[in-house]
Amino acid sequence: MKIFEALWQREKTALAFAFAAILLIPLANAMGWVSDLNLNLLGRYFCFALAALGIDLVWGYAGILTLCQALFFCLGGYCIGMHMLLKTGTNGVYGSALPDFMVWNQVKTLPWFWEPFHHFPIALFLALCVPVVFAMTFGYFAFRSRINGVYFSIITQALALAMWLIFLRNETMLGGTNGLTDFKTLLGFQLAHPAVKRTLFVITAVVLTSAYFGCRLLIASKLGKVLIAIRDSEQRLRFTGFPVARFKLFAFTLSALLAAVGGILYVPQTGIITPGRMDVKNSLEMVVWVALGGRGTLSGPILGAVGVSLCYSFLTGRFPGSWLYFLGALFVAVVLFMPQGLAGALQQLPFRKRANNRSSTDIGPAALAASMAGTSDIHDPSGDAQGTGADPLTTRNTTAGVTP
Amino acid sequence: MMQSNFKATRQGLLSKMGKGMAMMALAFTAMSQARAEETVKIGILHSLSGTMAISEVSLKDVVMMAVEELNAKGGINGKKIEPVIVDPASDWDLFAEKAKQLVLTDKVAVTFGCWTSVSRKSVLPVFENNNALLFYPVQYEGEECSNNVFYTGATPNQQLIPAAEYMMSKEGGEYKKFYLLGTDYVFPRTANKILRAFLLAKGVPAENIMEEYTPFHHQDYQTIVQKIKTFSAGGKTCVLSTINGDSNVPFYKEFANQGLTSAMCPIMAFSVAEDELRAMDTQYLIGHLAAWNYFQSVKAPSNSKFVKDFKEFAKKNNLPGGDKRVTDDPMEAAYISINIWAAAAAKAKSFEVDKVRKAAYGLKFQAPGGMVMMDERNNHLHKPVIIGEIKKDGQFKIVWKSKGLVAPEPWSIYTSPDKGCDHVDHTGTYTKK
Amino acid sequence: MRRNFRTKFYLLNLFLWSAGCLSAPIHGQDSASAAKALPVSRAMVKPAPDSGASAAPVGTFNPAGNEIPVAALLDTLLKNPETRTQTIKALIPRADHNLQDFFQNLFKGNLYEYSPPAAKANPDAAQPKILVIAGPETDRDGENWVQLFKTYPMQALLDENGAPIYAKTADLTELETDREVRAMVQPLLLAFDLDNPDAKKRQSAALSLGESGDTLQLPLITAALEKEKDGKCKRLMQEASARIRLHSALPENRAAAAKALGDLHSGSALAELKILASTSGAGMESDEGARKEITRAVQTIEAYASYTSIVQNIFTGLSLGSILILMALGLAIIFGLMGVINMAHGEFMMIGAYATFIVQNLFHKYLPAPYFGYFLAVSLPIAFLTSGGIGVLVETTIIKRLYGRPLETLLATWGLSLLFVQSARSLFGDLTAVSSPELLSKGWEIFPQVVLPYNRIFIIFLTITIVSLVSLIFYRTPLGTLIRAVTQNRAMSRCLGIGTRKVDALTFGLGTGIAGIAGCALTQVGNVDPGMGQNYIVDSFMVVVTGGVGKLAGTVLSGIGIGTMNKFLEPFLQSVYAKVVLLAMVILFLQNKPSGLFPAKGRNEDL
Repeated sequence: MKIFEALWQREKTALAFAFAAILLIPLANAMGWVSDLNLNLLGRYFCFALAALGIDLVWGYAGILTLCQALFFCLGGYCIGMHMLLKTGTNGVYGSALPDFMVWNQVKTLPWFWEPFHHFPIALFLALCVPVVFAMTFGYFAFRSRINGVYFSIITQALALAMWLIFLRNETMLGGTNGLTDFKTLLGFQLAHPAVKRTLFVITAVVLTSAYFGCRLLIASKLGKVLIAIRDSEQRLRFTGFPVARFKLFAFTLSALLAAVGGILYVPQTGIITPGRMDVKNSLEMVVWVALGGRGTLSGPILGAVGVSLCYSFLTGRFPGSWLYFLGALFVAVVLFMPQGLAGALQQLPFRKRANNRSSTDIGPAALAASMAGTSDIHDPSGDAQGTGADPLTTRNTTAGVTP
Repeated sequence: MMQSNFKATRQGLLSKMGKGMAMMALAFTAMSQARAEETVKIGILHSLSGTMAISEVSLKDVVMMAVEELNAKGGINGKKIEPVIVDPASDWDLFAEKAKQLVLTDKVAVTFGCWTSVSRKSVLPVFENNNALLFYPVQYEGEECSNNVFYTGATPNQQLIPAAEYMMSKEGGEYKKFYLLGTDYVFPRTANKILRAFLLAKGVPAENIMEEYTPFHHQDYQTIVQKIKTFSAGGKTCVLSTINGDSNVPFYKEFANQGLTSAMCPIMAFSVAEDELRAMDTQYLIGHLAAWNYFQSVKAPSNSKFVKDFKEFAKKNNLPGGDKRVTDDPMEAAYISINIWAAAAAKAKSFEVDKVRKAAYGLKFQAPGGMVMMDERNNHLHKPVIIGEIKKDGQFKIVWKSKGLVAPEPWSIYTSPDKGCDHVDHTGTYTKK
Repeated sequence: MRRNFRTKFYLLNLFLWSAGCLSAPIHGQDSASAAKALPVSRAMVKPAPDSGASAAPVGTFNPAGNEIPVAALLDTLLKNPETRTQTIKALIPRADHNLQDFFQNLFKGNLYEYSPPAAKANPDAAQPKILVIAGPETDRDGENWVQLFKTYPMQALLDENGAPIYAKTADLTELETDREVRAMVQPLLLAFDLDNPDAKKRQSAALSLGESGDTLQLPLITAALEKEKDGKCKRLMQEASARIRLHSALPENRAAAAKALGDLHSGSALAELKILASTSGAGMESDEGARKEITRAVQTIEAYASYTSIVQNIFTGLSLGSILILMALGLAIIFGLMGVINMAHGEFMMIGAYATFIVQNLFHKYLPAPYFGYFLAVSLPIAFLTSGGIGVLVETTIIKRLYGRPLETLLATWGLSLLFVQSARSLFGDLTAVSSPELLSKGWEIFPQVVLPYNRIFIIFLTITIVSLVSLIFYRTPLGTLIRAVTQNRAMSRCLGIGTRKVDALTFGLGTGIAGIAGCALTQVGNVDPGMGQNYIVDSFMVVVTGGVGKLAGTVLSGIGIGTMNKFLEPFLQSVYAKVVLLAMVILFLQNKPSGLFPAKGRNEDL
């Protein structure tokens, strides 16, 4: 309970923000001050933020870089999309009870794996279950064989690529490149109706807020400490007798779940789900959001996901010929001038004096060590707490340079 | 230490986050404010970055040229055209988002855009739900009949069937075996479905038809070319290719380097036009074929002007490629799109979607490639079909041309004989009695 | 070229003439064209079936000349459009080499009606319309112009002053021909092609004739075969002759033909033979003995095909593998040794490819054509220097601040890759073509029908060279020792007085430079566009990791392994599933060897 009280006191800003997202923005939308379009955009980006939160958990805290989160995102999305497509029923272009693309593929009966998706509870259950079971199975074998660091990253990337190729195929009966589209209703509500859109937004905001506080609690708990310990020195933890693989599996699965929830909420708000959402680049982009926002901060990934997506949306509309320059320069600038990501940079602002003082005491030892070792290569000011030492991608060589 | 650090992080960050959001929201509202009234806005929704930029940038260029021309003539209904260009970045979700932005925020009178089927499917609900208008300029798989889209590219019967017929004819070489090769997405899939149905109907035995798909951006065609080689060993074989975009270069290169020539086994391509040939080493391609509704080499005064104007436009605006730029079928279709829309708006004396649509039906336009006509019922264009042979200079030599215009069939009679598309007597797709 | 061609024909016809195959020349305008005017008219020869291999074609032209002269026939083409088809039909048996150009242009649709402008001397008299052949189009002031030629024989049309005549295409009326006419003309053109000095033309003519299975054409092929020197043409003609003889009425001829095809390992006849060898169905061979021979031929051909396909698969696997190695090698240095996650690696390849493109354009612009073929040799070092130079620049401005923070390098290089892609797009547009030098186009035919393209052989050798050079640098030079020292322990190297900054920059430059070379090589098999780097980055990372991070030998082995595996899978699965299975195999492989092929040894937290 103590933890709850402490969090309650410390999370005032977060709560204010959540309050704004859950109540004020929808209200403003109902009054016509925020357009449906912008509300929808923000709602979709909150879904991305959910996936980013998951990445932060598994990468920022447990130190496992996964490059297949977009896959889990899409698995959730596809499940709910399949349900909505079945509910479209005979309102499609072909007027058949089967989804349009199946008629087009000259399929006469619904494939068996589509059957359960007729019912919303089952569809929702599967939307959560499929990615989780998938992540669990994959993670179990990977962690059991102690596939670590970059090796793990690359096999997740290979997995994402393989699944993308499979989803692109027509004969997998998931709509091929065109994916699933032409959704009309969810639970009987018209998706195009503004009130339904608003509700979806509120639900997304609520889910994101709870996920955020949930992760916060998790990180503050003993479990969270173990995860950080894995990141900082997996070897030592293993020698202390912790079943490291299980903890990693837990973090990996949880992040898959968060991504899947994001996907579930994303599809009704976007109206289409295609394999394009799950290609290798998308998973990388998700990681970039987290890196940009500041990993290991929980709020950073949300900021990164929403911020980068808003930039992307704004720039592609405003500077169609040159937006890549802006975005590319932004990434480089963040790396050069905000080594802690956006979240870190915001902390360093002048009026966050108290925070500054604290962090300056924090970097003390690290900076001292660096100057003693005579290496100016170590720039990370936060030292171990933010984790440089055992970055999953650090090869033995660079690690050897830092840890004795 | 962890705990104390914790608190500081949280509060600072989230308050900033709120502020950041507010600024973003402000920027968005600023954008949405309507501009001056004496112009009419049109949206241009083509990918200018990402994988599809290779094809779509030229369409944006040609639409911009048409806008300049129309504005030079004083605009439409007394209003100058103001193009709103956005970049959906080859991201299908972003296509829908940008379409919404154009239709709802910028309130454009019409949108010209999309290339891939999936991008069209992605924006379709936006245009249908808001009764907005989209002109889609690329040859496509058909089986669609939206009241909010004007399709100015070819339907399957305006490209695929004549090409296959030509290959089977005495003049075309009387080919008996067909290798259907495509990139794995909707257009090639449908195209090959229709082609297969057509070939079977014409008595080609099933074992003489091979079908194969490669992933997007496939670069290694060694094995496939070997398969074609083995398959074509019996002779009288041609390849009907729906390979898309950047995979064409490695495919044609490998094809030539393994010793296959257009004389032994010609490739009839449905997605290779002059613009794509700019990116290819044409020495490998001579004699291969392509079927379109327009080629730059079409001999007509309107076409010479179009080609010349475009080269000048490219040079004047410092577009990459300058006056070496070429015109091709989708570009002509994009050019037709905006001109048909302008003519319809002028005829209707209004920019209202319903009026413009009605005025567009049956409208004729002297396109660069010759007279074309908008169908009176189904939003598709009546076009000529032309088959060309690739020449060394990257242009096509026209070897066959349809007699007159070919009427569009959004629903192929070979795959959906019972369906039709009619927006006048029916509401879009209907079942024939 | 043209002159050469005619001389050859002269000799050829002289030979035929002396052999008594052809009748005397007739249209003697001048001595040169008299030699040319030897009538061939062999396409229409109708010898008795199975008249034997030695039967020579017999000319049907009647030198007595009681036929309408060719020129007059050509005239009627214009005068009587209704009888056009009949006229052409009548012209076909008269096809001599003076008419070859006429028929070829008729087939291509280059025949036009031309109304010459009124003569100066007599401006009122209307000139009669004449039939002309149009040369290739040229663009002048936005109009298409063509040079005009006489039809019989094809010679430039000259005006009063002896200058060649050009006309706007818009002023010409095309002589319309229908499909029937073109179909009639086609076999004639093939027959012409059997004598064509271009070996390619002869080959494809032989191929088409073999496919036609038309026994009427047999004597033609036999005659051509006798004088054929070129090995490949000869083989194709033998094949064509055997394929035609398969249709012979005599079973022993068919058996002999089947045997010949078997001996030739004729893949092209396989489908046909299989139908004949079947024991039921419409196309089966009726004669028992012949069928036995045919079955044997099928077996021979199939055994041969499976043998060659293995050779081919090994080659394609090596070729794909070497491309993978070339792409991954730079990454293995940057990522494997330096620990920098270089997401812009693909873009450095792109820079190399564009450097090649620029060099090619400069060659086009400033050097005479014969030197053009050397542009690739020049662009290899230039691609290396450009990419490497930009790499050094990037390292000294950005990457050097990020050692020990691989996470940041990921973000920074991702940003860089966006910048590079957009810059390339703004500078070059999306469509650029790099051509192959003459030397690298086409391929080496090791067995009939098994062609190893030169460009791929080139890449294999390039990869071998680069890999050897890199290992030389790493293990035999002081620089290599420095690089290895710094990448193993930066702090310690520093303490020992090594200028780590400089070494880092050089290593990064070396890695990106090799990426540039990879990009240059890729222009020979693939395309050049701003997004090309994205196509390769995933594969490159996979190769490096499967090989074991930090191990050059691992990269080489895994590159070859992945390449060959892919190519052996692809014939059975479609390319998509081959790739999926391959990815699954990589995942399973790493399950068993969680640190790649060559795990790094020593104390390591990541192990």
